[in-house]
Amino acid sequence: MTASGHLDHDDDRRVLAEFSLPSEPGNERRAADEVAGTVESLGLAPDRLERLKTAVAEATMNAMEHGNGYRPEVPVDIRVLFSGSELMVHITDRGGSPVPVPDPEVPDLAAKLEGLQTPRGWGLFLIRNMVDEMNITGDREHHTVELLMHLEEGQKGGEDAG
Amino acid sequence: MPAKYLEAEVRQEAGVAVIELRGEIDGFAEEALAAAYEEAEAGNPETVLLDFEGVDYINSTGIALIVGLLAKARAAKRRLVACNLSDHYVEIFNITRLSDFMGVYPDRDSALEEAATT
Repeated sequence: MTASGHLDHDDDRRVLAEFSLPSEPGNERRAADEVAGTVESLGLAPDRLERLKTAVAEATMNAMEHGNGYRPEVPVDIRVLFSGSELMVHITDRGGSPVPVPDPEVPDLAAKLEGLQTPRGWGLFLIRNMVDEMNITGDREHHTVELLMHLEEGQKGGEDAG
Repeated sequence: MPAKYLEAEVRQEAGVAVIELRGEIDGFAEEALAAAYEEAEAGNPETVLLDFEGVDYINSTGIALIVGLLAKARAAKRRLVACNLSDHYVEIFNITRLSDFMGVYPDRDSALEEAATT
């Protein structure tokens, strides 16, 4: 995982889908389902697809909550890109600077059960464990979380993708 | 896709309080989950079983709610166990280490059988 990096990939990326959702609780599932439908032709294994859906849902929820303050009129923008060997999902909010730095610590369940930590705080931890890379960038007006999955041979979808 | 709010029903089976869950375990589920757990522990059972057969979505807020129930159960010296999780959510229970602190069983029969022998 890259905590805060640049989304500098090869230029052979193709946009498979691009859509926006209002920042309303529950819309993270719409995001996950839309992305799952978009990548269907790439032939991800079912367990990898489930992981991607969870990562997209969690990142979208963070964007709606922490970036956009659950203001419905402020959208979360989602782009699905494909480079031949990599699948990328970019999730952008209107959070503005500074770029958030993910907490590198693993949530301590024992401490949570003892009441020493809040029971919450699983979102970024789940994302990091669901995808091959997570990158975060931002400028004065936006934060973008990039979720990246490496595609194996036979899971690239070829010309059918998109 | 409209949210499928959590429905929870409590049954007593073989001395175990079984909470049958249907829908989504997310921020909207807090009230239903808390009410069901309160009903389940009213009879002071040794074991409370969360049956996830009807659950198709658990997010990080839902994980936090389950952590909260587990903390309550442990404080009361009660066992909280789970069954009928999909493979994906078994993986998430493993990653979060929830499965280190609560038994995770493939189905209700195996969970009840284990409860009866311990």
